[in-house]
Formats: sequence, C-alpha cells, structure tokens
Amino acid sequence: MLASTASIINCVAGVNGDTPTEITRADVDEVVRTLLNNNAYTVLDNIEGQDKFGTAPVRDAYFALCSSNLTGNLDAVQGFIHKNNYPQTGGLRSEWGSIGNLRFLVSSIGSVTPVGSMLGANVYNIFCVGMEAYACIEQDGYSAQFIYRPPIYDGPLALNASVGYKFAEVPRITNDLWVLNLRATLA
Amino acid sequence: MSDNTIIQQGTFVATGNDVILPLRNDVDWVKVYNLTNIAAATQWAGLDFYWQRGMAQDDAITSYHAAATQAVSLSTCATGYNGAVYRGISLLDSSDQTLGPAIAVTNVTAANPPLALTANTANVIANSTIIRLYSLATGQQMSSMDFSVGAVVANTSMALAHMPQPLAGGAGFYRIVNYNPLYYPRRRWITGITNAAQAVIRTSVTHDFHVGEQVRFIVPAAFGMTQMNGLTGTVVARNVIGTTGNNTLTVDIDSTAFTAFAFPLAAAAPFTYAYVVPVGENTGAALTLGTNILDDATVNTGFLGIRLGTDNVTAAIALGSAGGTANDVIRWIAGKSFAHNVVPL
Repeated sequence: MLASTASIINCVAGVNGDTPTEITRADVDEVVRTLLNNNAYTVLDNIEGQDKFGTAPVRDAYFALCSSNLTGNLDAVQGFIHKNNYPQTGGLRSEWGSIGNLRFLVSSIGSVTPVGSMLGANVYNIFCVGMEAYACIEQDGYSAQFIYRPPIYDGPLALNASVGYKFAEVPRITNDLWVLNLRATLA
Repeated sequence: MSDNTIIQQGTFVATGNDVILPLRNDVDWVKVYNLTNIAAATQWAGLDFYWQRGMAQDDAITSYHAAATQAVSLSTCATGYNGAVYRGISLLDSSDQTLGPAIAVTNVTAANPPLALTANTANVIANSTIIRLYSLATGQQMSSMDFSVGAVVANTSMALAHMPQPLAGGAGFYRIVNYNPLYYPRRRWITGITNAAQAVIRTSVTHDFHVGEQVRFIVPAAFGMTQMNGLTGTVVARNVIGTTGNNTLTVDIDSTAFTAFAFPLAAAAPFTYAYVVPVGENTGAALTLGTNILDDATVNTGFLGIRLGTDNVTAAIALGSAGGTANDVIRWIAGKSFAHNVVPL
C-alpha cells in the first residue's frame, strides 16, 4: 500500500551516477526535514548517552522500513550508528541502526521496485514514517483468519482436510504528509 | 461437493487483444470455447482450448478445423498446425511485479508525442500497455519513467501518448510493466500542468483518479511550476480515454499566474519526478458532482486469473489462439480439482 500510494523523495546526493542515487546523509536529512516541517511526531524517544566505550546517544526517531539488501549502504552513510553502539541494549529485533532522526528496520521482504532506476537497477523503497502516519482497519472485528477443517467435515469417508485463509483488513494512510518513500539504489 | 472443486464460468466478446480474466480463486483447469469459430467452417480456426496445471504457460490442447468444413482435428498450441504455433492459456498472479524482458529501443524521437522506435513490439497493445523506459543515452530525464503507450506501429514504433513535451531520448531499453501497483489509489508521475483557472494535469500513465478525490501535487524545482508544489486540490473533471492528448485530470487550483511547467533537461538528473498523490475525498464536492464518496477507498487490486493469448497483428495466429479474433463470442469454464498423484497400476 505504501509502495503504491505514499509520497516519494529520490536520493540525489550520491555518486553512483544513477537516479535515484545511493543513500547519503544529505538525503536522510532531507527526509527528516520534510517530516519535521510537516509536523510529524517521531515514533521512538531518544536514548540518552552513557559513559561507555564505543557508544553514542541516539536521537528520537522516525521509523525507516526497508530491505535488508541496503544494510551495507547504510553502514557507509555518514553518522550511522549501529544498534550495538547504542548506549543501552534493547534495539528492536529487526533494527539495523540509526542515521540522524531515522532508525532503520530491515526485512528480507522489504519493498523493491524492479528495474526502477534511470540505469535499470532495482530501486529500494525506504518508508520513513511518523507517528500514526498509517493504520490498519479491521473490518469485521478481525484482521486475518487461518481456517483448518479436519477431514470429518469433508465427507462420509473423512478423506480430505482443507486449509485456507481470509483477510478482513485494509491498510490506509491517515496523513500523507507523515509518510515518505525515500527511494535509493545500491552503491 | 468438496472444497477445492469450485467451478466458475463466464462469457465475453473478444477484443482482438489478450484477454485477462480475474477469478475468485486459483484454478487447476480451464476450458475455452470459441462459439464463433465453432459455428463457422473456417479452415485453421481454433474451436476449443483445454489447459490444466502442469502444462506450460501459454499452451493448451486445442481442436481446430483442418479444412473449410466442420471436421475437427486435435493439436496443442505449442505444437501448432499449418506451419504455425498459437497462443494458449496462462495463469496470472498480479502480485508478481516482475517486468517483461528488456527490449532494445533504437531511438526516442522529439515528436509530440515522442515515439519510441523499436524492432520488437510483441505484446504491446495500443492505448493499453504500460512500458518502463530506462538507460536512454540522451534522455536521462525520462529514464525509469512508466508510460502508457498510444499508437503502435508493429515492430516499428510506440507513441508515448501522454508526454506532451517533445524530448529526444536516444537509444535504450524498455520493459513491459505487466501489472499496476497493487493498491488503489495510486501515485502517478506528472508530464504536464497547464496554466489555467482550473489546472489540467496530465500523467505519464493512464490515471485512475475520480471526480471528488483530493490530490496533492509534488513539483520539484526542476519542473518550473514550483507554486504548485505541496498544494492540494479536488478533482473536478477527468478524461481517461487512453489516446494521445487525453488522460487528464482537472483540479480546482488556479494556476494562471504560476511559472510554466517544463520537463527538465537531461542534465538536471538526478532529481525527483513531479507527481500527484491521492490524499482523500472532498465529500461535499463528490456529492455535488454526483460521484461515489468512497472513490478514494484503499483497495487491494491484486488478482489471480488466466490470460487467453492471441495476436493483435497477425490474423492467422489470432484465428487459432485462445483469445480469438475481435468480436468472437467466447465461453469459458474453470475449476479446481484434487491432484491425483497415485502411480497408475
């Protein structure tokens, strides 16, 4: 839903010669500035600094949801703080780290637009979301049902079971100003 | 009757192009009957087509008239007859966002609309197909954009129907975008905005905005009309007949005094495209204009279905293909069945 509908910003400050370029600190700053100007609330509070070697305080942050293929590029961005450098343990399980006011959550099924760049490379969609930017509406009092019927319901000989699923859930952007799709290619 | 033996049926009149039938559930077998060809006695006309899971995509077992009589012979679409192979039946899953193969574009001409010259227009349907251009040698500002195709000259050219500004692009590639993004309403790239009391916007791909919907415009500085950037407007009129010069939406924004909209030159890359994004519904306007106030509702448009292939250029191939010839009356039935994998004794 976010890939189809959300507003976009192309990364343009990279040097890979493509459109969009690879992600850079300037692109992250542009997204954060836009969300701030649109009065989006951050989702996570800051993490205060502590007197521990190799750690750094982490700003309050918007979520940035993206593909795990971007992890190498994220590592190379100026100001990147890996979650093992946070002052306290407790980074989210899927979290990779933070840059400025974005904390990046990665997934192997993160959104990718195939052959979406100027040079024909895959474009990675990084959904940068503020508080309550989108919602899921459960229409019949449930989101999804996985239904198993044992063989006894199939027929007099109870030969076949059945399995199925159904959804009664609709995602919806609640305020388009609070979600941005930062599009990037790989370096 | 057990689950997994759900049967669906339907009928349609062929258009001369591939026919896509969204189904309520997946299918394991499909039968297609071309009533027009069955009634006639046209030599090499395909009569019926049968496909079941396990067969190759775009294949089918088919019967046909081997002579100009009602006598019937059997073959498969892939094997063919009369020295040709034919289009059969394929399973479709629109959640698959894989694009078509890369096909060379020899040039994009600075016509109005621009023409993408190519020696291969297979499966490109005039006023229907969406293509993605990329790696254009001198048209970086159009590379990675999707365009609805207008007029097609077979294996020669495709018009970028909704690109009002003539831009040369040089050589590159295109791929067919098989399916729209899954969710409606969709964001679309802008190729033109007029200076008018009610601005008229054209998008590169045939849009699906409706009257009464509210939309927001993002117009980066590279496109000139920066006054439009960030504004929201209500759609008051639309024209989506997919031919050159159409595919517009009119909004209640007075752009008369705005800087002219101009597509950037290649040197401006990289930049972010100008686009229009749906943000909601102007309920009052929708009611006044007599449209559905739920037109902006988010909908997952994904489907499982089948494609009945045909050939919109070569009539002899269309005659023996599952999708038939324009105006053929076709009936179909499709169903689920258990896979019986017991080794025969």
